[in-house]
Amino acid sequence: MTTPAKQQQILFVDDETSFLDTVRAVFTAWSKNGWRIEVASSSDQALEILKTRKFDLIVVDVNMPVLDGIQFLRILNRRFPDLKKAAITGYASEEKRSACLANGAELFIEKPRSSEGLKAIFVMLDELVTWKQQAGFRGMLRQVGLQDVIQMECLGRNSSILEVQDRQVTGRIYIEDGRIVHADAGEIKGEAAFQKLLSLPGGSFQLQHFEPPAERTIEGQWEFLLMEAARVRDETASQTPAAEPDVEPEPFPAAESPVAAEVSVRVTETLICSGHGKPLYEWQCADVNARMALLLEIGQQAARVGRLLPLGKFDRLEIQLPTSRAVAQVKPNRMVFVQVVTEGGHS
Amino acid sequence: MNEKLKQWLLDGCALAPGLLGGGVRLPDGNCVSHSFDENCPAERLDETLRCLGDSLPSFSTHGFMPRWLTWTFEKGQIRLAERADGLVLGLAIRPGSPAAENLDLITEEFFNLDLAD
Repeated sequence: MTTPAKQQQILFVDDETSFLDTVRAVFTAWSKNGWRIEVASSSDQALEILKTRKFDLIVVDVNMPVLDGIQFLRILNRRFPDLKKAAITGYASEEKRSACLANGAELFIEKPRSSEGLKAIFVMLDELVTWKQQAGFRGMLRQVGLQDVIQMECLGRNSSILEVQDRQVTGRIYIEDGRIVHADAGEIKGEAAFQKLLSLPGGSFQLQHFEPPAERTIEGQWEFLLMEAARVRDETASQTPAAEPDVEPEPFPAAESPVAAEVSVRVTETLICSGHGKPLYEWQCADVNARMALLLEIGQQAARVGRLLPLGKFDRLEIQLPTSRAVAQVKPNRMVFVQVVTEGGHS
Repeated sequence: MNEKLKQWLLDGCALAPGLLGGGVRLPDGNCVSHSFDENCPAERLDETLRCLGDSLPSFSTHGFMPRWLTWTFEKGQIRLAERADGLVLGLAIRPGSPAAENLDLITEEFFNLDLAD
């Protein structure tokens, strides 16, 4: 943890006053008075406080009466665009997370159920407020996976650079108007670099303002790139000895990379839903309800198999069709269906 | 036919390291399975094969006629393929193993397997 040079001004907004009392006492102590914490038990009260003082970070409870946290974040985002915002909730869900992030929250966190959990939140908020002082960062999405951020940037047709870092590798993923156009990781470029970055077992990432890359090495559709990266990551994980965590993973040689081969992949259908079956994005999906029903059936079948054989968590089903291939990914917080036609190579 | 299938499972599939177990569901619903890993006993493979085999018609109701399906889990994959004569192959493999690399070849072999007495 980096101790900030100046005292950070942090406002917590929650109708649960016992939680406010706890965070004020504990976080002030843990920050060694590096944080000056103000609390508000409603959004109205918070707005009054914000009129009188400048804050570095506001932490908003999502489930508040009258004006809920998501609506409040929307207002804050409009009136205080430079204020860093974090959303906190006792009942996290994919919908809430997406709504909070879409309305300006840099961080979405679940309320802690233990002192360790409280400590983890303190560390996350401390890092968020510290990063604020560094130029170029739009925010840190620590509770959101790298894949989620890429998905959100592509769905939002945003342009950004995602800098990904672990102890040995630093790389960048360039997203332009919602398309992944370039990636580099050390000396590796293109789809192999993209896969390598998404295969990293840990590390950190930050979104930076977009600047055009010197070259464009990726042309594939982002849905397929993410699915392939997930597949390569799984295969790499299964081949990496668990007892050697400090060993740098072998880079993916371009010749062995399945998407680096001379094949043309055309996505013909995409559906992305929340874990509860709410459609988040669809493209050329003729019958969203039918596809969703199929995804749910697949999830149920996978759960049955999981009870029979010790295979761990289900990731995806690949359906090889006579002239195309479909991939259905069913996760607790997300379901994805992508159908592709592969031309000029074997699938 | 059962003997030929058993022999193929033992001779053909077992040569690929990383195969946890394999089996074939017959058109009458019976299964011929063989385990190559103690964590995947034959009776569990039978049950898995029946469970996934029963789900195959639902894909055609959704407009898909799969040549094969690959179910990927954290620690294993299951390849499922149905022949025109109704035989359904199920192979449980460790991802990234030689068996995984040869999965398509083994599946093609199953499609072309001559089971005539």
